[in-house]
Amino acid sequence: MLTDQERPVEQPPVEAPATKRPAFHLNRQGRAAHVFLIPWQLGFLLITAVPLFASLYLAFTDYDILNPPEWSGLENFRRMVDDDQFWASVKVTLVYVVVSVPLQLGFALLLALILDRGLSGLAFYRSAFYLPSLLGTSVAIAILWREIFGDAGLINKGLALIGIDGESWLQNPKTALATLIVLNVWTFGSPMVIFLAGLRQIPDELYEAAKVDGAGVWRQFAHVTVPLLTPIIFFNLILQTIGAFQTFTQAHIISGGTGGPANSTLFYTLYVYQQGFVAFDMGYASALAWVLMAVIGVVTALHFLASKYWVFYGDN
Amino acid sequence: MTGLNRRGFLKLALGTTAASLSVAAVTGCGGSGGGAEGGGGGKTTLRYAWWGNTIRQQNYTKALQQFSSANGDIAIEPEFAEYSAFQERMTTQIAARDVPDIFWIASPQVLTYHKSKLYRKLDDVPTLNWGDYSKEDLETFKLGGELNTMPFAIFVPVIRYNETVAKADGVTLPAVGAGWNWNALSELLISYSKDNPGKRKGTPYAPDHDLTFEAWLRQRGEQLWTEDGQVGFTADGLGSWLDWWEKLRKAGAALSLSEQEGMGPDWAQVGKRVLLNFGNSNHIIDDAKMFPQDKFRLRPMPVDAGAVEGHKYLYFPRMAMYQRIDDSKVEAAGKVLDYNVNNPDMLKTVRLTMGAPTNPKVAEQAVAFASADEKEMLALVAGERTAQRKPRYEAPPGSSTWRTTMARVCEEIALGRTSVPDGSKKLVEEISAGIKRAQ
Repeated sequence: MLTDQERPVEQPPVEAPATKRPAFHLNRQGRAAHVFLIPWQLGFLLITAVPLFASLYLAFTDYDILNPPEWSGLENFRRMVDDDQFWASVKVTLVYVVVSVPLQLGFALLLALILDRGLSGLAFYRSAFYLPSLLGTSVAIAILWREIFGDAGLINKGLALIGIDGESWLQNPKTALATLIVLNVWTFGSPMVIFLAGLRQIPDELYEAAKVDGAGVWRQFAHVTVPLLTPIIFFNLILQTIGAFQTFTQAHIISGGTGGPANSTLFYTLYVYQQGFVAFDMGYASALAWVLMAVIGVVTALHFLASKYWVFYGDN
Repeated sequence: MTGLNRRGFLKLALGTTAASLSVAAVTGCGGSGGGAEGGGGGKTTLRYAWWGNTIRQQNYTKALQQFSSANGDIAIEPEFAEYSAFQERMTTQIAARDVPDIFWIASPQVLTYHKSKLYRKLDDVPTLNWGDYSKEDLETFKLGGELNTMPFAIFVPVIRYNETVAKADGVTLPAVGAGWNWNALSELLISYSKDNPGKRKGTPYAPDHDLTFEAWLRQRGEQLWTEDGQVGFTADGLGSWLDWWEKLRKAGAALSLSEQEGMGPDWAQVGKRVLLNFGNSNHIIDDAKMFPQDKFRLRPMPVDAGAVEGHKYLYFPRMAMYQRIDDSKVEAAGKVLDYNVNNPDMLKTVRLTMGAPTNPKVAEQAVAFASADEKEMLALVAGERTAQRKPRYEAPPGSSTWRTTMARVCEEIALGRTSVPDGSKKLVEEISAGIKRAQ
C-alpha cells in the first residue's frame, strides 16, 4: 500500500478549450428526466397551478359561477370582518388545531415508545394502529362516529348500563367538537409510524451511556429520546398542523354539511365549501381559501422560526 | 437484451405521451355535449340530469331506456346524483358551459338559473304538447312571462300521520274544517305526547320545513318571496311560526335535537318515535315504505279562522331544456319532455315519487295504476288544485342558502342560544343581505 506521502502528486487537470454552452444545457440523462416529468408537469400546471392562480384572481372578484366574475377589489376581504359565520369557523378551527394536534402527537409518541420496546407481533400492531389513519378521514368512519356518539349510540348505551341517560354527543354544541377531536386523535397511526422510525435511529450506545451515568427511564426519555427525536416531532407537527387546518370530511358528514349544532363544527374549510358550492359565492370562497393559505403559511413559518430553539439536528 | 436501446425507449416514451395527449385533446373536444349526433348511426344523443335516491335512479334509468327503445333515433345519457351533489355538479357544469340538454331544477335555483339565462323557451317546441293544460295553469308555469321551464309534478304541504298508531292509541284527529286549526293540532300533539303507550312524541322538531312554513305565512297574508325577488315575510310572521313550534318543543310534544340527531331528521330513524310529520305530499310514497306494517294518511295544513283568501298553493318541481342546446336536438328533447309530463306510461315505471302529475288528464289516468299511498296523495293534491290560489313566487337569486340559515336559527333557538324575536330578525336580515349581494 502506498502511504499518503508516497502517492504521486496529482497534476492539475488540463483545461479543455472553452466551449459555449447554452444557459439551460441538459445532457441526455437530463433530457430523459424531463421527458418522463412531462405528465407530472402538465398535471401540476393544469390541475394545480392554473386553478391556484385563477382562485387568486377570483378572490378579488364578485363571482357567482353562473356569470362572469366582476372585479370587486378588496371587498371580499373586507366582508370577512363583519361576517359572524367566518369568525365562528375561525374559532372552531383554531380550537381544533390547538387541542387535537398536540393530543394526537402525544398519543402517537406514546404508542411508538411502547411498540419500540421490542414487542412480539410488532408488524401486526403497527399495521393495526396505522389502519385508522387510512380510514379516519373517510365517509364510512364519519358515519361510524355518528353511530358511536349519537343519541342511541354505543357510548350512551354504555352509560345507560350505569343509569346515566346521555344525550347525543354530536348534537350538543359543548361536546360535538370534542368528538371530532377524538376522531382526529384516533388517527394517530401515521405520525406513530414516523416516530417509530425515528426511535429506531437513536443509537443504543447513548442509552447505555446514560444508564452508566445513573439515568433512569424518565431521564433517558427526557435527555436522550426527546432531544434526538425533535426533528421527527417537528416534521409531524408541521404535517399534522397543516392537516388539521384543512379538516373537512368528518365535519361535513357528521353535521350534514351545516357545521351544526350551533356552528360548533363549522370548520373553516366547511365554510369555504358552503360559500362556494351552496351559496355560489365563489369569489368570497376564493378569498377565504387564500386567507387560510396565508394563515397556514404564517403558522408554518413561525414553527420554523421557533424550531431554532428546540429542534436538534445531528450536526448541531 | 430487449432490442430497445435508450434512444428507442425515449422515442417510444415521447411518442406515447404525445399520442395520449392527442387522444385526451380529441376526447375533450368531442365530448357528448359537442355535436348534435352524439351517438352512432344518426342517433340524436341527449343528456338528461336528475336527482333522487337509488330507487328513483333505477326507475328513471329504466323509463329513459324504454323511451329510447320506443324512439330508436334518440339515445339518452342519464346523469344522476343525490340532491346536494346534483346541485354541485350542475354548478360546475354551468361554469364549464357543459350543461345537460335536459335537467331538473332544484327549488332554490329556479330564478338563479333563469337570471343566468339557462332555460330555452319551450312554447315553440313542436314535439311538446301543451294542449291538456288550462290557460290558468300555463300562466302559473311561466317564469318572467315565458314558458321556459316544464313543471312535471305537483306537491303541497301536508300533515302526514300514522293512522295505525293513532287508532291503536285512541287518537282522533279533528275533521278537516273549522276544527282542524293550528291550535287544535298543537293541543292534540301536546296531550298525546304526555300520555301514550309507545312513549312517542307528537312530531319531529321541524320548524325549518319550507313548504309548511310557507303555508303558515300565506294564511297570515305574508309570503315566502315577493314578485320582485325580495323576502316576502316579516320577522313577526316568522316569529309567530317559531313561537308555535317553541310551545310544542317546551311541552315535550316535539322530538329534541338529540333524539332526532339534529335538524332535518332522517325519517327512517324518527318515524317509529312520532305520531305525525310535517312534509310534502309526495313524501308519503317513499316514507310509508319504511314502515310497511303501518298505514299513513295525509291531511291538508290546519287553517285558522282568520286565514286570508287564496292562501293555498301548489309547488311545482321543474325541468328545463338548456338554452344552448343544439337546434337539431330540440325536437328530440321536446319528445323527452313530452314523455315526462304528458305520458302516463313513464309514470308506471317511475311511479309518483315526485308528486302528482301536472297534466290533469295524466293525473286522472294515474289513479288507475296508483298504489294506495299514491292515491292518497293524488286525492289530496286534486283537492288543493281546485282551491282558489294567490300567485306564488320562486326563490330569488342570492337566497339559495336560506333553508340552511333557517335550520341554523331554529337550532340556536332550540338550544337556548337565541330568542325567537332575535333569531327571526337575524334570519330575515341574513336572507335579505344574500339577495342584495346577488343583485
